[in-house]
Amino acid sequence: MVWRIGVDSGGTFTDVCLFEETTGEVKIWKVSSTPDDPSRGITQGVEEGIREVGTTAADVAFLGHGTTVATNALIQGRGVETGLITTDGFRDLLEIGRQKRPDLYDIQADKPDTLVSRDLRIGVKERVLSNGETETSLDEEEFRAAVRELKKAGVKSVAVCFLYSFLNSEHEAIAGRILEEEFPEAFSALSHRIAPEFREFERLSTTVVNAYLGPVMKGYVNALSGKLKNLGISVAPQLTQSNGGVIGFDAAADLPVRTVLSGPSTGVVAAQAIGRMTGIENLITFDMGGTSSDVALLTGGKCQVVNESVVHGYPIKAPMLDIHTVGAGGGSIAYVDNGGFLKVGPRSAGANPGPSCYGLGNPEPTVTDANVLLQTQNPKYLLNGRMKIDQELSRAAIQTLADKLGMGVLETANGILDIVAANMAKAIRVISVQRGHDPREYTMVAFGGAGPVHAARLAKELGMKRILIPRTPGVLCALGLLMTDLRTDFSSTQLTRLDEASADGIGEIYAALEAKAYAWFDSEGIAPQAQQISRTVDVRYAGQNYEISVPVPAGAVTTATFAAIEEAFLNAHRQLYGFIAEGEPVQMVTFRLAASGLVEKAQFQPAEIEGPDSSAAITGSREVWMMEAGGFVTATLYDRAKLKAGNVVHGPAIIDQMDTTSVVPMDTTATVDAYLNLMLEAK
Amino acid sequence: MLNVNQEQTTAINPITVEVIASAFASTVEEMGEALVRASYSTNIKERRDCSTALFDANGAMLCQAEHIPMHLGSFIGFIPYVMKTPGLENIKPGDIFIGNDAYEGGGTHLPDIVMASPIFVENRLMAWAINTAHHSDFADRGHAHIYQEGLRIPPVRLYREGVLQEDIQRLFLLNCQVPHERVSDLRAQMAANRLGITRVNELCEKYGLDTVLAAGAELMNYAERKMRLGIAAIPDGTYSFKDRFDSESLVGELEFGVTIEVRGDEMHLDFVSPPQVRAGLNVVYTALLATVYYAVKSIVDPTILPNAGLARPIHVTAEEGSLLRCGHPAAVDGRITACQRVVDLIHGAFAQVIPHRVTAASNGSVGVASFNGTRPDKSLWVYLETIGGGSGARCNKDGLDGVHVHMTNTSNLPVEALENEYPITLLRYELVDGSGGAGTFRGGMGLRRVYRAQADCRVQVMGSRLISAPWGIDGGLEGARGYFSLNGNRDVFVDGSVDLKAGDLLEIVTPGAGGYGAPAGRAKTEVERDVREGRMTAGEAASLYS
Repeated sequence: MVWRIGVDSGGTFTDVCLFEETTGEVKIWKVSSTPDDPSRGITQGVEEGIREVGTTAADVAFLGHGTTVATNALIQGRGVETGLITTDGFRDLLEIGRQKRPDLYDIQADKPDTLVSRDLRIGVKERVLSNGETETSLDEEEFRAAVRELKKAGVKSVAVCFLYSFLNSEHEAIAGRILEEEFPEAFSALSHRIAPEFREFERLSTTVVNAYLGPVMKGYVNALSGKLKNLGISVAPQLTQSNGGVIGFDAAADLPVRTVLSGPSTGVVAAQAIGRMTGIENLITFDMGGTSSDVALLTGGKCQVVNESVVHGYPIKAPMLDIHTVGAGGGSIAYVDNGGFLKVGPRSAGANPGPSCYGLGNPEPTVTDANVLLQTQNPKYLLNGRMKIDQELSRAAIQTLADKLGMGVLETANGILDIVAANMAKAIRVISVQRGHDPREYTMVAFGGAGPVHAARLAKELGMKRILIPRTPGVLCALGLLMTDLRTDFSSTQLTRLDEASADGIGEIYAALEAKAYAWFDSEGIAPQAQQISRTVDVRYAGQNYEISVPVPAGAVTTATFAAIEEAFLNAHRQLYGFIAEGEPVQMVTFRLAASGLVEKAQFQPAEIEGPDSSAAITGSREVWMMEAGGFVTATLYDRAKLKAGNVVHGPAIIDQMDTTSVVPMDTTATVDAYLNLMLEAK
Repeated sequence: MLNVNQEQTTAINPITVEVIASAFASTVEEMGEALVRASYSTNIKERRDCSTALFDANGAMLCQAEHIPMHLGSFIGFIPYVMKTPGLENIKPGDIFIGNDAYEGGGTHLPDIVMASPIFVENRLMAWAINTAHHSDFADRGHAHIYQEGLRIPPVRLYREGVLQEDIQRLFLLNCQVPHERVSDLRAQMAANRLGITRVNELCEKYGLDTVLAAGAELMNYAERKMRLGIAAIPDGTYSFKDRFDSESLVGELEFGVTIEVRGDEMHLDFVSPPQVRAGLNVVYTALLATVYYAVKSIVDPTILPNAGLARPIHVTAEEGSLLRCGHPAAVDGRITACQRVVDLIHGAFAQVIPHRVTAASNGSVGVASFNGTRPDKSLWVYLETIGGGSGARCNKDGLDGVHVHMTNTSNLPVEALENEYPITLLRYELVDGSGGAGTFRGGMGLRRVYRAQADCRVQVMGSRLISAPWGIDGGLEGARGYFSLNGNRDVFVDGSVDLKAGDLLEIVTPGAGGYGAPAGRAKTEVERDVREGRMTAGEAASLYS
């Protein structure tokens, strides 16, 4: 027996997914999370999961873990007291940012808290110019005094960000040495190591976030590895990053800024693996939970990695899967605003008091209440009968909105679902049409507790014809952990015109990045046959300031490499902006290298295809509001667990399982594939 | 926004309206992103000094992206002008209009070049994609009247039925100091409109033209309803406020005033200002309207949709030929400085009746530095930047430090981009200690930027609150004034302009903002924190807060 374990630790539940490599057995285990110290819940979940499948810790060959520790510390302001040392004259840049106000019209809005208070931000004399030359050498004594001052002030972590450190890191390297001498017990973050890229504010912000979260992550990782060792798990655990790959615990503790979006990224990785399994490569993922939803686009089986994003108000330069989040989920509250329009979210009823139908005293209707009233969700019970609900409370809550709108209560409930679909569609348009992709050519992968409930409506809004609902949609993130590779990214910014580039010069840049990658392979103990490197470069017309990332062909850099880069850039530019600028010089900006350690992934075995007859899985029928009919129709109810490969379900139907409900509209057919995914296709 | 027919609504499901509203909003945002990303000039690609919108065929705004409120002024006059000249029957698919003039075509100052593309659906002109981009050109010009300020362009066709009018383009580019940037930025503007046309067509394909039009009309009614509700919540009455205005290009101060009459769910604002001046500070009526709409929306209800409906209950008057409603040939380049003070006036007047909704005076200016020079290859370069300052304290919290307020919201240019493109080195960029007005809640702090010229060049600086200071509310004290200096000397600027030699140091200090409530009411811990953080000295704390 060789077991692989994925653990996704969320705010409410910790999901454990166990997979046995030889038999293909999959087991899901859920325990309550322990937000004060997530490592307890995780250890408990792993321990119970192992016992549940009847194995021992010694048989665990892989343990991957997705965590919200970094994200939560950032949102809740629970990082450590941090000091910052900058080029003299620029200590306030952290606070000024791009000098924009937080909201264009709302004069009561505030900026996110500055992570380093002004008395802990110190400027020191040093200056490098835009060509990388040093104009003023670092005043080492001044820097040393600054470190001592911060030490005296009691900071736990120190960030250093000097102008142009991405071009010339000499001063930051000296700074690192002095920090090591004067204040070795502090966590330190040097900007040229965290994000060696142009635009000083974004680099500074990233460095500070990293310093602010570093000790928190380090403490967490140490606690968790100790507990897992005590359980008898001998394999080194891995942590997910925002780029969809996993990385060793030590590396993650050094660069926590790279894990701030690790939560949703594993869901995308799982969708990617399922796409590979089923041979569908163009996918749009739709992960809808209780308070928010995440969407991402995969073309050719791959999700685009973006190198900068704003996370909870803080700009972060780190490789992240291009995932968009919408502040709406099953618990989002619907209301009529003072202008008489129906709105949904971003306020959420959460788990307590939860939707009105829970009967815990929330009078405001949620998205779940609309589903309960329209009976797309079970009107009496949730969680496979484990939780009783009251449909009349949903009706009463929605009736108050209906009265304000002058509409019927059912039309209003239907309207709530339409508005949710419109909000989601807006997010999907950002990642598809705005990037030059037509969603109608994509298959939707719906997961999360609420994804399969809303998928059909959303697909219709976007003109999408196919929906894939995985076997375990509620715990897909934990499953994704079993399907991801180790991955880390390296980059170097050097503005170079393509027509003036020398093959040798660019070759050297990549050689330096490769050297870093090989050092990383060594540190992670990745065998040569599992090592993989891919290269990209960010390109623009000289004069523009936004780049397009294009692949760099493998092998030695030659003039043919430059021709390939140019062609890829022009194609992408035309697709994005509708034109190319003939004769304008093209410029390379940031050279990037992604290093992957290929991991043996969970391989699912296809089941034998049985006949289309799904009647054995029927559990009954109920009246369900179907938008195509504009009213209630009788829908057949199915138990997902009893559906066999090859079975076909004709809408209108509702397919129930423990972690979600799938809605099959009237004009749609659902087929169970060999991997027990549901494939919905509109006629 | 001027000629909207309120009766054109047909009954339509509010859910559909909401869905179409979200499509309009994503379309204008997407247009804006394309414009920024495809552009070449620092003022657009990094500073994002541009805006995008959709208008209906009547010239009423359907939706504006959240970019620069000032740009609304350029939009609301443009389409009505084009509908008259060349007239509806002469507008064809593939036409692209450009224009900038303040007196012929609805612009507010010449660098803001508007580009509008008609959207035809089923052979019918049903909407417009429109955008404006601040082309950082026309630098080092005079401002006695508009003929000195740059090339005046009435709305003309840069493209006719998809064909570039090269004569027009050559005429335009010859009048620009940096033609290569101009033509590249125009290309980015076209990319934005092209997207707008595509998206609106897709929307009509999906919902039907009539539904989309009806939704557009209903969205305006919705904005109007919300604006009326907001106004109705303000007690009826007449509220007046006066303030003094100064500028680097004026001698002494001028007086501005407003009288706001709130009656039921409508309001009337009447502005009093001196006759238009021979300086680039005058405001055309559409710019005044855009300013009033911004200020009222942000005070009354910031969630009101940015479309033409919100203007219906708001009436604005000012004497023609006065600085705040100027006529030909008044110069208008720096109109935003006066517009910032119009917002302050409105806050000052409303402080008497809804004090919890307003802020103390913000920095009351837009600090501008416009550099120009000649490169070694003899080509010209122009670099414009605007600098934020303090934002006024609020009734229950401090003002924001070092931000752009009110009519603009452009980004700064990263130092690492600035120095790479222009012969300028930035030595300091910081908050100005002691500049936030004292109060129970402190006013925001101003900004200091210190530049070193790396080559000989020329600079023109602009600002206000150089003589008067941003006022406080309810016992809050005033914030610090702004100033400019060259090598430490403040008296060398002529109408804001001065020559720089390589190695010269230019310092721009923008004003802070006023405080809210008496300083004695400030929590002791907050005073201590400001001292600890160096936002003021212990001595200042002792004298202001004892």
